[in-house]
Parts: sequence; structure tokens; C-alpha cells
Amino acid sequence: MRNVAIIGCGQTKHSARRRDVNLAEMVGDAVWNALEDAQVTPQEVDAFTVGNMQGFGGVAQPEQWLGDWIGAAGKPVLRVATGGSTGGCVAQAAFYAVASGLYDIAVATAWEKHSDSKEPGATTGLSHVALGNTINMINCGLSFKHLLSMTLVGAAAGVACYQAMYYMYRSGSRVEHLDMVAAKDRRNAAKNKYAHLQWPGCTPEDIAKTEWVAYPFRYGHICPASDGASAMVLACEDIARKRCKKPVWIKGLAAYSDEENQIMSEGAGGIGILDASQQIGATMSAIKAYRMAGIRDPQKEIDVAEIYQPFPNQELIFAERLGLFDEGTAWRALEKGETDINGRMPCDPSGGVNATNAIGSSALQRILECALQIMGKAEEHQVPKEVHNAVATGWGGATNYIAVTVLGDSPY
Amino acid sequence: MSSQSEIVLTKVPVPLVAGFQWSVGELMEKFIKALADRKIWGVKCPECGYVYVPPRWRCGKCYAKLGEENLTELSGKGILLSYATAYVELDGAGSFKDLSEPKPIGAIKLEGADSTLFMPLGEVKPEELKEGMKVEVVWREEPKGELADIKYFKPAKR
Ligand SMILES: [Zn+2]
Repeated sequence: MRNVAIIGCGQTKHSARRRDVNLAEMVGDAVWNALEDAQVTPQEVDAFTVGNMQGFGGVAQPEQWLGDWIGAAGKPVLRVATGGSTGGCVAQAAFYAVASGLYDIAVATAWEKHSDSKEPGATTGLSHVALGNTINMINCGLSFKHLLSMTLVGAAAGVACYQAMYYMYRSGSRVEHLDMVAAKDRRNAAKNKYAHLQWPGCTPEDIAKTEWVAYPFRYGHICPASDGASAMVLACEDIARKRCKKPVWIKGLAAYSDEENQIMSEGAGGIGILDASQQIGATMSAIKAYRMAGIRDPQKEIDVAEIYQPFPNQELIFAERLGLFDEGTAWRALEKGETDINGRMPCDPSGGVNATNAIGSSALQRILECALQIMGKAEEHQVPKEVHNAVATGWGGATNYIAVTVLGDSPY
Repeated sequence: MSSQSEIVLTKVPVPLVAGFQWSVGELMEKFIKALADRKIWGVKCPECGYVYVPPRWRCGKCYAKLGEENLTELSGKGILLSYATAYVELDGAGSFKDLSEPKPIGAIKLEGADSTLFMPLGEVKPEELKEGMKVEVVWREEPKGELADIKYFKPAKR
């Protein structure tokens, strides 16, 4: 297996409605920004991996439309769709393409265009996904009303409510800690020119003043539905060293689909457990990825984390699953400011998914943001310390899919 | 034939409606709005010369960036490259219904364009259609700046 590095990153500005561009133009912008950053021409790219959340935006075969907008005409294109974790898996697929020796330069790009759905937010897309995921139960004779009485209600948001409640119960944390995470992420996003929800100086008290959506979440806790795209150029070691001053190496990766997910849990005739805060798939992915990366003690060796956290409890849960804090203690580290941009273990200095959620793109952006931190190109949201190793997550599928990627300034 | 009572599974209605509102992008919006003035905009790649209609802002052939400055007006006359004729249409209830008269559809290359438009054909009988024949645009009486402003293409007068 060959070493693989990220040699260029590109993204678009994220906002609620990018009506100025169509889907192909928006993704094209991200890819061209990445190619420019890497100083690579489209002719030099050997292969592309692409993806968004299946069904969102209502374009069934987006790769067909995009091809000649991103420089992929006449080249191999692999489309990946694993729900919210899509971007992480798109990046991992590009890694495999280069690590295998099959291709020398690959471009990974992921996106979402929520505003192409007619209903506010992501309702149309979610309807698509929920229907696809629940049709097996309908076939078994369960009525839709019955499905809604289970934890499926509200899709990822419904699951996240239970997840947050379970986590707060077993860790001893409170809703105030959700306020703190969200406020930190809004503040960080204000330093990231590409981010969607920017709120300079946001305090936990500001978040606590927002209305309830579904307990334990207030409006201020929840991610927006964003339009946007991101892209990265990956290259084999020879090319990376020749073409890039500071290549970022993908040192370890893993993606597990977790059988404890809600849809196949006890309540729905499956063998999984009901506690959505366990996220066993994240633990398994982290162990595998760290071993591959040669990371023995993530608390000492990881310098920054970009965690997929559309809901603030997820930053705490996944930080623990990644071994960045001891079990049930991430909220104490949060209280001490350890996860702040200038803290001991900065979590989501970009503002993360909590501030910007172009779903398909979100997990790729986590990897991209880690790469920017290692390259020292994160500008205003650069963490004020040396970054040697970073870890990125994605969470999706039907709440079951986890992708963990470990990055570093050296391939070893 | 099985009787109704032998059917085991019942119908389960799904209370979901999916609607979409795709954004077309700025150049395509210009194209659509210009139809109100009976104008058809294409875009000409400054690098390789390929002319697209409707316009786009990245050349799919050579990847050059295209912009408003590359817009070029097309005449509305062109050549029929190929065609098909429909005798049925969807009835909106999952099946087909017969059309009162056949509807021909053509692949048209406009004068000065390299890409192809697919448009309905009118004022012509299916048996009169021929590859290579000259066609021209027919506008709706009061164009409003929407795609439906192009009613159809008809055989061009000699
Ligand atoms: Zn060109």
C-alpha cells in the first residue's frame, strides 16, 4: 500500500440559499478551488470520487450532470452515498484509489444543495431517506404512525434527542453544556470565512435564550441546512513531495456501519441496543484508524479534532469515542476551555457541522479542516499551536455509519 | 383469479410529499429572462470556440471559465439532426393515453451553436420530417421570460 497525501483543498461559501449557482456550478467551484490550491490541472487528475446525501436536492444521478463541470469527463468516477458520513467515505474512497497504486492523483468532492428542496430545511430530502430506510418495516406491515412512535421521529434530530438524554444521564452533564458547545462552535465559525452560522462573541447565555425545538434541544443548539461544496486533491508520495510544500498525510482510516443504530434496534425488531449515545461504530473505527496511524495515546498525540456534530452532544460523545477524553468527562474538559480554539484539545475550530451543514460535504469538510490546520492554512481559525496529528469524523447512514480519518504532517 | 379477500397485505399509504425548486444559476437565468425579448443566448468558449446553448460558465470541452462577456445571440434558425414522434402520453395516473394527434420532437442544432437542443416540432406532419431539414423557432404570442416561451420549431420557409 502506498502513502497518500492531501495536496490541495477547496470549498465554497456556505449559506442557506445559493440560488446564484446550480448544483453543477457549485460543486465545480469547490473542485476548481482545490485544483488551484494544489496547482494541478484537470488533465493531470486520474480519477474522481463524488457524493452527497442520497435523495437530497432531488437529483438522482448527480455524477452524470457534474462530470464535465469538475473535469471528470472521460475519467473514472466513483460515487459514494452513506448519508451524513458521505463526505468522509468519499475522501476514504479517493485514498483507496491512490493507496492501491491504481491512480496517482485523485479528486474527492462532496456537496449538498438543501435549497433545491421545496420545503424549508431538509424536509424533502429527509422524506426521501426516511422512506428508503423505513420501507422494509412498512413491508412487514408496520404502519407509518407506528414508525413515528419510535425513535425514528425527526430523523437524525429525533435520534439526537435520545442520544443527548442518554449521554447527559450517564455522564452527569446538563443542557447548559450543550449551550457551551454550541456557543463555542458559533464563535469559532465567526472566524471561518466559509462557515454558515457565524456569531462572534456568542455566549452560552445567548444560546439558552433561544426557543425550544425538542427537548433537550433549543434552536441555538441545532445545525443549519446549508448549501455548499468541498473538494480535496489527493496524491501518491512522489507527486505529493514534488508538488506540495506541506502535504498532509492520511495516516489511518476506518468506516464501520454500526448494528446498534436506531433503525435495527430493539424497538424495531433488530438486535441492536437502544442507547444511541453508545456509538460503538465510532469506537471501533477509532481503534482501527489509530492502529493504522501508529497513534498509541490519542490524548497526547492528537493536536486537534474536527468532529461531526450537527447536535452539540455529539461533539462530547464522539470526542470520548475518539479517546480524546476519558469516558464521561468531555463536558468537564469543555467547562475548563480545553476544547476551545486555544485549548489543550481544540474541537471543531472551524465551527464544525453545528455551524455549517451541507450534509454530503460535512464529513469531507472535517478532513479538509484537519488538513488546513496541519498545513497552517486555516487563517483566522488556525489553532495557536503546532499541529502534527489531527482526527476527523463523519456520522450518517441511517444514524449507523461512522467514518474516522487520522491525518498527520508525516506519513509515519 | 384471486378474490379480494385472499389478498394478505393491505395498502399502507405514506404521508410524504417531495417537492423541489432547483436553482438554475446566473447564466441560465439570463437565458430564460431573455426569451421574453425573443432572444436566444448561447455562450462561446474563448479558448476552444465551442458554442453552448443554453449557456454555461465552465467549458465542458477545455474547462475554460466562461462568463457574461462570452454570451452570443443565436438566430433561432437551425438544422434538425434527428427526431422522434410520440403517439401516447402519460395520463397522470400511472398509465398511458393516446394523443389526439402525434407529437414530433426534434434534436436541433441552432445556427452558430455546437450543442443540441431538444424541442417539440410543429406545423409539420411526422412523415414530412427529414434529418438535415431547416427549422426555425416559433414563439408564443406574449413571451414572459420562461422556458415555455419557445412554443416549438417548424420547418423554415425557403
Ligand atoms: Zn472550451
